[in-house]
Amino acid sequence: MNSLLELKTAMRDERTEVKPAKRLGTNVSFDRDYGDTVGEVTASNARMVCRDVNVFYGPKQAIHGVNLDIGRNEVIALIGPSGCGKSTFIRCLNRMNDTIVGCRVTGSIQLDGQDIYDPQMDVVPLRAQIGMVFQKPNPFPKSIYENVAYGPRIHGLTQNKAELEEVVENSLRRAGLWDEVKDSLDQPGTSLSGGQQQRLCIARTIAVNPEVILMDEPCSALDPIATARIEQLIDELRMQFTIAIVTHSMQQAARVSQRTAYFHLGKLIEVGETAQVFTNPRHQLTEDYITGRFG
Amino acid sequence: MNSASSSRPITPGETLAKVKAGLPRRRAAERRFRAYGLAAIVGGLVVLAILLLDILFKGHSAFWQTRIELDVFVDPAMVAASSDERTRLMEADYSGMIRQGLGKLFPEVTERGRKRSLGALLSGGAPYELRDRVVADPALIGQTIPIWVTASPDVDMFEKGQLGAPDTDSFRLKSDQIEWLARLKQEHRLEKRFNTQFFSAGDSREPEQSGIWGAAVGSFFTLLVTLSLSLPMGIAAAIYLEEFAPRNRWTDVIEVNINNLAAVPSIVFGLLGLAVFINFFQLPRSSPLVGGLVLTLMTLPVIIIAGRSALKAVPPSIREAALGVGASSMQTVLHHVLPLALPGMLTGGIIGMARALGESAPLLMIGMVAFIVDVPGSVMDPATVLPVQIYLWADSPERAFVERTSAAILVLLAFLILMNGLAVYLRRRFERRW
Repeated sequence: MNSLLELKTAMRDERTEVKPAKRLGTNVSFDRDYGDTVGEVTASNARMVCRDVNVFYGPKQAIHGVNLDIGRNEVIALIGPSGCGKSTFIRCLNRMNDTIVGCRVTGSIQLDGQDIYDPQMDVVPLRAQIGMVFQKPNPFPKSIYENVAYGPRIHGLTQNKAELEEVVENSLRRAGLWDEVKDSLDQPGTSLSGGQQQRLCIARTIAVNPEVILMDEPCSALDPIATARIEQLIDELRMQFTIAIVTHSMQQAARVSQRTAYFHLGKLIEVGETAQVFTNPRHQLTEDYITGRFG
Repeated sequence: MNSASSSRPITPGETLAKVKAGLPRRRAAERRFRAYGLAAIVGGLVVLAILLLDILFKGHSAFWQTRIELDVFVDPAMVAASSDERTRLMEADYSGMIRQGLGKLFPEVTERGRKRSLGALLSGGAPYELRDRVVADPALIGQTIPIWVTASPDVDMFEKGQLGAPDTDSFRLKSDQIEWLARLKQEHRLEKRFNTQFFSAGDSREPEQSGIWGAAVGSFFTLLVTLSLSLPMGIAAAIYLEEFAPRNRWTDVIEVNINNLAAVPSIVFGLLGLAVFINFFQLPRSSPLVGGLVLTLMTLPVIIIAGRSALKAVPPSIREAALGVGASSMQTVLHHVLPLALPGMLTGGIIGMARALGESAPLLMIGMVAFIVDVPGSVMDPATVLPVQIYLWADSPERAFVERTSAAILVLLAFLILMNGLAVYLRRRFERRW
């Protein structure tokens, strides 16, 4: 019953065509074992390799045996109904789940052949390599300049003030925010609009020059114009970074990503080329989701 | 799935009619609730105002002290013969000079008993006032100088109208003394002046010579020890417990104990201080050091709890943002979480300090209730504190201590208001939106 409610919530969020509840109940079975993932989970030039990843919140298992590769310079979109584990999964990729009490991850996640859950692994350099943009814009309550300069400063990426200023300017330019804030760098980051704040957070992330950027529903709090700007930005960043993006909007997934992974109830159902997943899904659940039967 | 299948369709307007029917009752309940709240606040304010006005009314007169002007001839013959200049000045017969000065004003008083009553108009401290003048300026020897000396407490009370009705036990002035006072007044030799001694002297058995400076300094040293120990320890403990400590049975036990300690009666901390700091560690009794340690134990739980709730109030998104760009846990806390939590922590700290300033019970146990005349010079000297001084004066039989008790309460309240004002200011000053 709960999952059904979640699905209904997801339907409302997506503003997709709402089907009568009765049909939904007959079409979807929730206790079926989905078996292995449909589609090609491996990538020829993988940056990150995830094998048999399980995530538990206390006794409750949130992710069941996910295998997925993330390729170099690709944008991979993680889609699925609410509560399906996409955010949980993406937060495993830079060990942000470490901060959650009672969260346990098993399996292996490798970045360039190095297991990031190795006890020897230091999360500080890991997170410098794998940056993250969160669902809700979360600038520091400091000036715009300080927001962007913070990462390079703590990692000692610049030698002097001039270099730091250059990094800040470059990052803001690449995030498409420079022209709007260049005269007000000393203003608090929290004084910007929602879309600007999210671009500021992206600038803060790329200022560290990470290799992988994780985005957890970066546009869910933004209006269509700000969303379009960020999607354009993602497309430009792809040239340099590897990007994994969680999104509730299938249109957005179709627009920005090369590959798409469909999650359902903690399992990875289907993964493949975005065009193929959206035009010719192989799994029944994927098809149901994409055609708007639910979620 | 059967939520839509209601038994009976609702006709239009039916809901509205039902809502309207219940509306007067809802409104009345709301009005009643507001009236209760308002009554509680007004009642509280009235009681507070009565309390403050009562203290103010009783205490304000202590800031004024009746003084009498004498023309004193500093007789070189009465200055002791001694080789040492300082001893010579200190041991001169100033009482005699004061007596002569008083006698000059009332030459008709010759009889021994009446002379004694005349002398009783002045405070026992009057010769010392003259001494201080002369020691400060030895050139006065051989001159006749006008000097305002403190009147006796009975005269002071009489002038302030607080001596009670004549013929009662408390009325301790004789009729000729009242006559002399009237004469002094006529000659403008009797005045109520601002009582500087109250703010500069330590405690004394004589009300007119007693002041709160000793207790204020004692309070200052005690709070200094408390502040410099409890604030860093409390903030560090709060940060560790909230941000770094693993969540397990041990931290649960610690948390429960901290919460319980905050509710322990303060006198228990006094017993602990007596047993541990004085009996075991042999630290000096009555000292601000021990007082400060005891008050540290008392305020630490309060500061930790306030600090933890301030840290809890920092949104987790800020932590995630810092961790997401690769800040270490310590950098996250020091650069982002602590600056946001600090106003709340400081407020908690200052409220704890204010509580420590007003605390007397635990200090009674460690001997800070002793009668101490000297102003303490360090944290190791015997001292008392403002609330204990109030307690001591409230216990004194002399009528003149009544107004001093109230005046000391006023000073204590002024300090508390000042500290709470500082807490509000700090919060406003450092509070940031996020």
